[in-house]
Amino acid sequence: MSKQTIKRREFIKLTAVGLAVAAGTRAVTQTKASGDAPHGKRQWAMVIDQSKCTGCNYCTLACQAHNDVNPDIQWNKVLENGVVGDQQVYVPRPCMHCAKAPCVEVCPVKASYYREDGIVMMDYDRCIGCRYCQIACPYEARSFNWETFTGDNPAVPEWGTPEVDRRPRGVPEKCSFCYQRIDRGLSLGLTPGVDADATPACVVVCPTGARLFGDLNDPESSASTALRENASYRLRENLGTGPRVYYLPAVPEALRVEV
Amino acid sequence: MFKNLRIKTSITPWTIWLGLMGLILLTGLVSGILVFWKGLVMTNLSDLVPWGLWITIDLSSIALGAGAFSLCAGVYLFGLKRYQPIARTATCIGLIGYTMATLALILDIGKPERFWHSVVYWNTHSLLWEVTMCVILYLTVLVFETMPIIANLEWLRKRLPKIAALMEGVHHYAPFLAILGLGLSSLHQSSLGATYGVIKARPFWFKPEMSVLFMFSAIVGGISLTLFATMLSSRLTKRAKINDVLIERVAHFVGYLLIGYFYFRAWDALATTYTYDPGRSEGLRLLTKGPFAFNFWIVEMLLGMIMPMILLLYKPTRMNPFWRMLSLMLVALGVVAFRWDTNIAGQLVLMPYLPGAAIAYTSYRPSLIEILTGAAIISYGLTAFSLGVKYLRVVDHTLVETAHETVHVNSTEPVTIS
Repeated sequence: MSKQTIKRREFIKLTAVGLAVAAGTRAVTQTKASGDAPHGKRQWAMVIDQSKCTGCNYCTLACQAHNDVNPDIQWNKVLENGVVGDQQVYVPRPCMHCAKAPCVEVCPVKASYYREDGIVMMDYDRCIGCRYCQIACPYEARSFNWETFTGDNPAVPEWGTPEVDRRPRGVPEKCSFCYQRIDRGLSLGLTPGVDADATPACVVVCPTGARLFGDLNDPESSASTALRENASYRLRENLGTGPRVYYLPAVPEALRVEV
Repeated sequence: MFKNLRIKTSITPWTIWLGLMGLILLTGLVSGILVFWKGLVMTNLSDLVPWGLWITIDLSSIALGAGAFSLCAGVYLFGLKRYQPIARTATCIGLIGYTMATLALILDIGKPERFWHSVVYWNTHSLLWEVTMCVILYLTVLVFETMPIIANLEWLRKRLPKIAALMEGVHHYAPFLAILGLGLSSLHQSSLGATYGVIKARPFWFKPEMSVLFMFSAIVGGISLTLFATMLSSRLTKRAKINDVLIERVAHFVGYLLIGYFYFRAWDALATTYTYDPGRSEGLRLLTKGPFAFNFWIVEMLLGMIMPMILLLYKPTRMNPFWRMLSLMLVALGVVAFRWDTNIAGQLVLMPYLPGAAIAYTSYRPSLIEILTGAAIISYGLTAFSLGVKYLRVVDHTLVETAHETVHVNSTEPVTIS
């Protein structure tokens, strides 16, 4: 066998090919990880009945307390949206937890990601605070921590006690479907959407029962039932983001049928 | 060791310039510290307009640094060897521009201490991830490309001749670096446009031509700034030695590029109305009739494209250094205005997400802190360039490089000084 020598040019070529293969492999695996829409056993969804919502804002207050949110920020905003009959109509707007979430797609560091159960989560320890997700979110669901939240939370203890850490200055934050309540509840053998301790705080606190929560993969869950039996819509559906928050449009009182 | 460092106390235009720049840098430094200490609450950015002046400076300095890759590609890949001295200047401006962009970004992100996350945690779907990676890699390429220039430092030549020789030797790899630079720049210059172009929530941005426009305007603006800076320094100092024939030729080329840029930009803006998507025409209205009307019609269109196009294509005005310099400066300003208009206007249109709700508008005006830090970033760039001209022969068309051994091309022919 002749003596093998590698010329500089060949060495550079080999190195380039090696690097390209490594980067390509990495890119392919990474693409798969972040590109796939969630497909876990459970798929959480929220249904909001606009006929029942009275705009009392209890949901917002419970959210502020349980998630220890800065009073300058609202994860769940209750907005006025026209009149049906003689009734004011409201749209409570949490995070939509999109199946194809623009925020997850644009995040440069994968600080926004899908959980298997469809919840769009924020890794506050990874986020660099570039705010591209805020630019991309079609629902203005994200709020940036322009300064550190110090001092008392005015919603505590009247509306609940904090269950998660406060977010640091310099990262955006948003509704998480109270994942901490869901996870803890499931580990205790409870059913989210049925048992209060396993259900998002806004759903539990709603005095008129306008909010329903449940697993879309379970045909008997309250969310599945409500969507099967009623007409529903989602916000900015034309964008194809696939929100997991559904609205049952308000029906004039005269036409309402009690189920 | 410091016996050679004698400080002359006489007041010259140079010391006044340095003093002025130092003052702006100092106020910017104090403001920057305030931002890191108090947080982004010091800015006028909001949840509705999260990207403001700093992002515009970032986009603009990357765009105006594009002369480096365009001219290096021209010189080392397309065989236009005689323009090598201009490519030298462009490379230096590129390095300065990209470090300016990095400074602006470090200020702008909420967690600057986590900047390295973008290198470690990959989201290959994100345009911003791609831009970050390309900018980091390209900055590395630029550092290598400027090494032969830094080797010109008198102090380095005297004290560390071996290192200086090593740094100078890097220019043998200039063609390879030019290939890398062309690839990386094409990727991130266009991806910066796509950063906006993929945002379907905001129809004013959501269009494929954003990336092409960003790329094209960057090439036009980058070359123009390089030529303008070259001409300006030759008028201000004897250390800058130029060959006006080279500059005139490239300026003529810029004139032709401007025809393409003008056609494309005008078509892009005005054809927005062909496909009505709620929010798209509203964004255009902000440009044509709203708060950006002066920027759009006067700075971008008239001064940034039409006027320099005529002045650079019409021989008598092109041959006149004043008109040529003015045109080139206006082109660069026009590109900055394009970045500002695009970035801000897209955020001022608030797309309704409630059924039946109307489109609303918001406003943004940078805070004093944003302006002071922004000014400091710009004055850093100006200082770095003027120091380069004075001490590193950044603008020197008499420098003749030796042949590139690796590819056996003669990079320069002797040039004559007019």
